[in-house]
Amino acid sequence: MGILSQLNSPVIFLICGSIVLVVALMCVVFAVRAYRAGKAIGMDVTKMKRTIVASATFAVLPSVGILLGVIALSGSLGTPWPWLRLSVIGALHYETQVAEAAAEAVGISGLSASQMTAKAFSTIALLMSVCIIWGMVFSLFTCKRYTKKLGSGAAGQEKKKSALAGFGDIAMTAMFIGLVSAYLGSYIGGFVSGEGLFRFAGSWLPLAVALVGAAAMRLFLWARERFDAGWLDSFSIAGSMLIAMASAIFLGRLG
Amino acid sequence: MNEEKNRQIYEKYLEATHRLGRLSCALTLVLLIAAPFVMGAYLGAMPDLGAFGKGFASIGLVYFVSCVAEYLIYVPMLGAGGSYLAFITGNLINMKIPCAVNARDIVGAKSGTAENEIIATLSIATSSLVTILVLALGVLLLIPLQPVLQSPALQPAFDNVVPALFGAMACKYYRHNGRVACPTLLLMAALFMLVPALTGSTSFMIIPSGAAAIGLAYLFYRRDAARA
Repeated sequence: MGILSQLNSPVIFLICGSIVLVVALMCVVFAVRAYRAGKAIGMDVTKMKRTIVASATFAVLPSVGILLGVIALSGSLGTPWPWLRLSVIGALHYETQVAEAAAEAVGISGLSASQMTAKAFSTIALLMSVCIIWGMVFSLFTCKRYTKKLGSGAAGQEKKKSALAGFGDIAMTAMFIGLVSAYLGSYIGGFVSGEGLFRFAGSWLPLAVALVGAAAMRLFLWARERFDAGWLDSFSIAGSMLIAMASAIFLGRLG
Repeated sequence: MNEEKNRQIYEKYLEATHRLGRLSCALTLVLLIAAPFVMGAYLGAMPDLGAFGKGFASIGLVYFVSCVAEYLIYVPMLGAGGSYLAFITGNLINMKIPCAVNARDIVGAKSGTAENEIIATLSIATSSLVTILVLALGVLLLIPLQPVLQSPALQPAFDNVVPALFGAMACKYYRHNGRVACPTLLLMAALFMLVPALTGSTSFMIIPSGAAAIGLAYLFYRRDAARA
């Protein structure tokens, strides 16, 4: 049995599906409790119903975008694991980056079904699980104290928020620029010196695919601004990725 | 009198929400960490902890910092119930936060109020359920397509998921940050060209690359603040 067939086996579906089901039940419990509490404290029921309808409709398009992410990852990690990761805790760009770093750490040259092994997969899955758990860990240990502290002074809260939003936002963007630059730099370096210093004989495919991805994203951003289509944001990353991935099929034939 | 009663009900609700939230987080953490081991046992190959440690050292730090920032910024917006649920279900930036803000704007709830707490929880629970449903339906439809998705003709596409992602992200992040992005990219490209062996450790290179980008961003931030 090939590795992808193993990763798509009913047992793996069952393991991942059970966790998705548990989280779905949690969502139902939180929603029902919130609705009942809102009613009990005299909140307008119409407002709560409007929230539910607005949130459900708001979530449809981004969810389709997230589904495209599952498709993008399913070729190397099988379908059930990306399904679980993108239903619970994860986000497409996080998952792909962590999976790639994990693949490198286990000694395969990248996130690819042709090199995937069962050991590599279970290690990648563990790393994907652990790398992005911190929000939950902090919630588990500090959310009660943190929300109480916030509730004790609204002015302090605003001040804290604006201070955090100052360099904090810039640092986060810079961190992602650093992350993206490391990978793009490696594609450039791989092409220029991959087969010997400055021989320009290495593989150009990853660099070309990245350029197509960037061009597709530019197109999405242009269309969003030109037609004031905010809904396109939900598809820009996944859509650009799929366009760039499709280009790899054709570009690969040229190489 | 009525206000006092409502306050008591709300405080009782909040207390129970924290208990439920902590329990849910703990359960989800256990399930998510156990899953790779359970799958490993089924596949006959447990995770390689040495490789895990190596991978965590390279990429874990980046996400730790990112998670701290997200936690500090989003909890005040989402309240207790919304935060527990949002950190469990993920997809914060691309869905949960805009969705909760949208719901809050629609009903006109203010940060830190009981109304905001209830609205954010309802909004995040509903959007998470929709995502779970859409993904489950999508995955169900994907099952018959597995032979097509696994065909050799499509393998170049799946082998290039990461360059495709980073190309798209580069456009998004570089667009308004050229003065930080260009020198960082040039530096990394020069390093990889001069020391091609580094290509095998790209994830480790995120650390110096991230440090260079944050350092540059800080210099520009200080300069812009001094000018303002």
